[in-house]
Order: sequence, then C-alpha cells, then structure tokens
Amino acid sequence: MTDEAQDVIGDYRYGFHDPENSTIRFDKGLSEQVVRDISELKNEPQWMTDIRVKAYRHFVERVMPDWGNCSLLDQIDFESIIYFLRSSTKTEKSWDEVPDDIKNTFDRLGIPDAEQKWLGGVTAQYESEAVYHSIREDLEEQGVIFLDMDSGLKQYPELIKKYFGTVIPHSDNKFSALNTAVWSGGSFLYIPKGVSVEMPVQAYFRINAKNMGQFERTLIIADEGSSVHYVEGCTAPTYSTDSLHSAVVELIAMEGAKIRYSTVQNWSSNVYNLVTKRAVAHKNATIEWVDGNIGSKLTMKYPSVLLKGEGAHAEVISVAYAGEGQHQDTGAKVHHLASNTTSNILSKSISKKGGRSSYRGLLQVSPKSTGCRSKIVCDALIFDGSSRSDTYPTMEIGNSTADLEHEASVSKVSSDQLFYLMSRGFTEDAAMGLIVNGFFEPFTRELPMEYAVELNKLLELEMEGSIG
Amino acid sequence: MIYQQMAIPPRSEHLWRYTPWPRIHPSVTDEVPIADDVIFSLEGGEALEKIQQPEDSFDEIARAFLQAAGGSYNRLVIHEEPEPIHINARASGHVAVGHLDLEVKGSAVVFIHISGEPEWVGLHITGKIHPNAQLSFGFINELDSNTKFLRCEDWMIERDSELEHATLSVGGFRCKSDLRSTLNGTGASIRQSVTVNAVGARHEDEHVEIHHLHGHTNSDLVMNSACAGSSHFIGTGLLTIAEGANKSDASQVFRNLLLSEKARAEAIPELEVHADDVSAAHGAASAPVDKEQMHYLMSRGLTPEESQAMIVNGFLLNAFSNLTNKHLIEEMRTRLTVHLECELKR
Repeated sequence: MTDEAQDVIGDYRYGFHDPENSTIRFDKGLSEQVVRDISELKNEPQWMTDIRVKAYRHFVERVMPDWGNCSLLDQIDFESIIYFLRSSTKTEKSWDEVPDDIKNTFDRLGIPDAEQKWLGGVTAQYESEAVYHSIREDLEEQGVIFLDMDSGLKQYPELIKKYFGTVIPHSDNKFSALNTAVWSGGSFLYIPKGVSVEMPVQAYFRINAKNMGQFERTLIIADEGSSVHYVEGCTAPTYSTDSLHSAVVELIAMEGAKIRYSTVQNWSSNVYNLVTKRAVAHKNATIEWVDGNIGSKLTMKYPSVLLKGEGAHAEVISVAYAGEGQHQDTGAKVHHLASNTTSNILSKSISKKGGRSSYRGLLQVSPKSTGCRSKIVCDALIFDGSSRSDTYPTMEIGNSTADLEHEASVSKVSSDQLFYLMSRGFTEDAAMGLIVNGFFEPFTRELPMEYAVELNKLLELEMEGSIG
Repeated sequence: MIYQQMAIPPRSEHLWRYTPWPRIHPSVTDEVPIADDVIFSLEGGEALEKIQQPEDSFDEIARAFLQAAGGSYNRLVIHEEPEPIHINARASGHVAVGHLDLEVKGSAVVFIHISGEPEWVGLHITGKIHPNAQLSFGFINELDSNTKFLRCEDWMIERDSELEHATLSVGGFRCKSDLRSTLNGTGASIRQSVTVNAVGARHEDEHVEIHHLHGHTNSDLVMNSACAGSSHFIGTGLLTIAEGANKSDASQVFRNLLLSEKARAEAIPELEVHADDVSAAHGAASAPVDKEQMHYLMSRGLTPEESQAMIVNGFLLNAFSNLTNKHLIEEMRTRLTVHLECELKR
C-alpha cells in the first residue's frame, strides 16, 4: 500500500481495496431502464419486476427526509452511484471456487476461518451479489433454508412472494423505495416449526468498488416455536468519493419464535449507511436487535419491532461510536400493537473528535393494547468540547394501563474512574480504553465471543490518542 | 419576517407534530383576525403601563402571528418587591391577544392569572431577569373550557440571576404553549415546573425549551400531567447545551398519569449537548394509578373517586417539588387543590 493510500485510510483496518474485476458493471446513474435491466439480468418473475418499477416511481416522487442531518443527506448524488456490479458469475459453495482476489478479501476479513470455528452458515456478498454461500448439512436436513436472496427468489418464489415487502412496503420511506427498486443480494432465511438453530448464521457484506451502491435485501422468517441468531458484518474500502449502503431487512417471528439479529457495521467513513430494519413479532414471539455502529459517514438506522401478538417481546441493544466527521443517527422503534407486550431498549453512544451521535426513538402503545411495559435507557459519553450528543425520544401512549419509563444521561468520562485506574498503574490511554469497553459491555456480552473480542479491539483502536 | 410571508411548519418539526399550526390558529392559516385586547391589571384594579408595539420581528410562526394580530402591549418593571404581585389577565370578545414585557432588577414574586371566555386567546410574555436578580413566576390558566389558547414566552436569564417558573394549566379546551428560556450568563439558573390536569376532551400541548449558552448554568424541569376522559397531553422539551458551556447541569423529568381508557399522553424530552464537561439527564415515565395505593386509601374508608382524586392531587403537587420560593409553592398548591376539589364535586 502506498503512503498516500495509507494517509487516506488512516486507522481504518478494512480500508484496503482490491482491483475491480467485474463481469458486469452498470454505468453510473438510475433510471427505470436500469431497474428493468437489473430484473432482466437476474431473470426474475414478472411480479418482482413490477414491484421494482413501482418502487422506482415512488422513489422518484418521494422527497428526501426533512429531518435528521439534512445537510449530509442533500449531498448524496444518486446519479453518481453504480447500482449494479457483478464480480463473480455465480455463488460458490466452496471457498476454493471463489475468484482469488475476492477470496483474499474475505480471508483478510477472517470470514472462512470464523465459519469453520463457530458458524452454522455463511453468505458472503461482494458488491451487488453473493459470491459464497454455505450452510451446515445438519441444518439443511432439518429443513432450514439459508440462501442468498437472489437464489431464494429462484428456488422459493411463492414463499418470497408471500412475505416480500409485507413488513417494510416500498412506500415506507425514500430509501426503502430505492432498495426495493434496485435490490440485489442479501439473505433469505427460513427456520421451520420447532427448529432451534444453535450456531449463529452469518452474512458479510463488502463494498469494494468506488461509488458503489449496495442494496441488499434480507428476509428472515422463523416459523412457530423456532429460534435463530443471525449475524451481519459490513466493511468497505476508504475512497475520497462516497458510497451508499441502503439495505432493507424484514424479520417475521411467528408464534413463540425467537430471532436475534446482531450487526456490527464498520463501514469506512465515506459510506452513507441508510438502512431500514423492521420486525414483526406474533404471539409470544421475541425479537432481539443487537446493533453496533462504529463506521460510516452518516448512519440513519432505527431497528423497529411491531409487537402484533399478545405476550410478544422486543429487545434492542445498540451502541454507536461517532468519531471525526461521523454522524451516527441511530435508535429504536417499538410499536406495542397487542396486549401484555413488553420491550427493553438500551442505547449507548460515544462522541469524539467532533463526531455527533443521536438517539432517535419511538415507543408507541396503541389504544387497545393493555398491560404493556417498556423501559428505555440511553447513556452517552462526550469526549471533547467539539463533539455533540443528542437524544430525541418519542413516547406515544394511547392506553392508560401502559407502564413506561425512559431515562437518558449525557456526561464525560468520570475523572474519579480515570484516577482510580491510573493509580493502579494503567496509562491514561489504557484506562480510557478499559472504561469505554466497560461502558459498551452490556452490548458486547450479547455478541458471540469472537465478535465481542473483535469489537473490543476495534474500540481500543478508535480510542487510541483520545487523551490530551 | 412577517406572518403572511411564512410557510406553515411541517409536522416533522416536533414542536408542531401533535398540534399542527392550523389546529391552533383561530380560523384559516392565511388570515390574521382583528383581535381584542387582553386587559392586564394589578390586584386592586390598577392597569399596567401600556407601550407601543415593538419593532422586533420573529422567525417563529406563533410569535409572528401574535405580533401581526396586535392586541394590547404592556410592561412591568420591578426593582425589588417583597410581596407577591398578582396580575389578572382578562380576555373577552371573540379573539383576544395580549403582550406583556417583564423586567426584573431585584427580587420579586409574580403571578399571572388568565381567565375569560373568548373563542381564542393569544398571549406573548417576554421577560428579562437582570444580573443577580431573582424572579419567582407563577402562571395559572383558568380560561373557559371552550377556549383555544396559544401562549408563547421568552425569558432571558442573565449572569447569576434565577428564574423559578411554575405553570398550572387547568383551563381551555385546546392549549398550545411554547415556553423558551435562555441562560445567558455564568451562574444563571432556572427551575421550572409544569402541571396539567386534563379532563374531558381537553388537548394540551406544552413545549419547553431551555438553552444553556454559558458554563456553570443550571436548569431543572419537571412536567407532570394527569389525563382523564378522552383528553390528550403532549409534553415536549428541548434542552440545549452550547459548545463551551462546561459545568452546566441540566435535568428534565416528564411524568404522565393516565386515568381513563381514552386518555392519551406523549412525552418527547429532547436533548442536544455540544459540550463535554456537563451533566445532562432526562427521564420520562407513564403509568396508570397504582392499584396498591388505591387499595390502601379505599381500605381506610375513601370512595374510589376520592382515592383517585387524592392520588392525582399528590402526583400533581409533586411537580412543584423543585421550587423553593414559599409564596410560589403555596399559591400554586392552593390553586391546584381548590381546582381538584371543585372537579370532585362536579
């Protein structure tokens, strides 16, 4: 790597990029023809093409959000983005068959190694499509379907047609419309009744090309009494021009099912990460979002849960780290649409070197939902005077029996804690690193061990030189 | 900017999300009605000093509208006043608007009692607390239960000065308040409480902004609402701490007590912090009446209505717990208790 490239990348360890060896590469810009071409290229059924075109038209008509960081949003040039780029002709089942340059990327990210040790299945997406996919045989035998979304549409069109866009319709927001129009890749996961997937399944999303837009679409259905843990990781190289990641993730937990969805996004600081994630929980089902936001230029992501069945439960744990030039606009939304539903939201954020972190949440109890309970806790640390932390919580309570609590606090790292650790021989940097790891501990303890170790390392790296 | 040139604020602005501007405007939004004066008088009947309409222009639509609507302009300058000052604001006619400018240079306790039966009332209060001065301010809304009420307040709290601000809102059927305070000097502080008893189909929207522009400033906001019938209460807060305003200490607590199936409440306590060495916290809670408390009171011979009224009384009185001026606490508590007793007898 040249010194110049190192300067651009800085401390971001995933900022490397490989030469582009695409087999199909669309020109920059978006039009109805581009949308139709993507659909035709994938040989999709007509109903999917129709949905794409309808979504594209909605995207064109829909104005940009007039809330959040409008000045950054207005900088997105939709005409300078590449909407489809195919790097490999097919999705391989063995790493040996993945093109060498792409395999090297995933080797450097440690994916094949992790797969062997602790994963039940892996989808690796490079640019617009999955390049590698595998699932353990025993899970396949139990009827678990884990495919990249394009293959899912080919092999299970009726299942996809039944659930696609039912949780997040294309008209939900401008970016869900964009995703529905140009989606490519993502995961399709179906867990049959009563099946409990013990080992996590993972998807890894990598943007390599400059000005690339990645629009994966993920649909997870956990049938009655089943459970699954899905893990997602994201990185991209650092370029001087911006990339866009706009995913849509739909989760459906049937009666008594449990889905845990863990994400650690570590996009480079030139990526706009504008993602719509929403889950539906039926009777006695549980949805858990474990959401880590370390990278990107601007993230706008509010994992949501619609508690539609009596006794359903939602758990959202999110952490955000906003460093120089970053705005992490994250939060959680829970809609209590049935009686005796419960939710817990824990949000933690750090702002440093002029970074901005915002918690934006919504808690809603519908008029007919009795006996609902919810607790929201937001804690924020600010490291210097040029950084910023915001909290924008909304509580809409339509039923008098609801019992809801929200609390938030913003502060700096306690000098007492620093003094205590330093008096026991830690350097100031090491002490600060320990305090930050402790601050994020409620989040990291919910991650698989390997992820937690990696996240702690990542945070230590980010915290280096934060004193003085 | 003048009102007629302003765009109607979108509902994405949380200030206007639950009570959009067309819902609180007296007629249609492009009209500015001819307003009667709200008459301000001191206890004993003495009128306040009338002043010319200032030439200030406002960027905020409600304030610009109140300016365009005219009405009466009044001023009260207080140097040092040991006894509480009671100001009666009487509204009459179809649409009534009043403006009051308070300037406090010493220590004072001021109450404003607003009453009347117009269809629509607008009130804009501006206040300046000079360095080292203290004001304890109580606002009691006892308007007719069919009146729409728009209230804006702007307070400038200077170095080492202190504002204690209490609101008791029990009147009007649709009320929108936008109360803004700026801590404009080191050592400035505000303790604010808002108490709302919403019954019937009342709609009450209270927005409180507190801006810490300097370091070593303190703010403490408590907002308690009890909602019965099909009433709807919205409490929104915006607390900002400016860059460099270190050693600021700010807290907001919003509590809602829901008393009936159809009552609704929203709480949106927002926080924007641009400084690192601060303590800022907010909390919000919403819950029904505690069944154990009801059981305890009923087991001692109170009827369910009396038990609930007692719990509501205790809950709402708690909103004044952050105040320190005994005149202010006494007056607000008395008014609230009298109001709740009248409600119980209905």
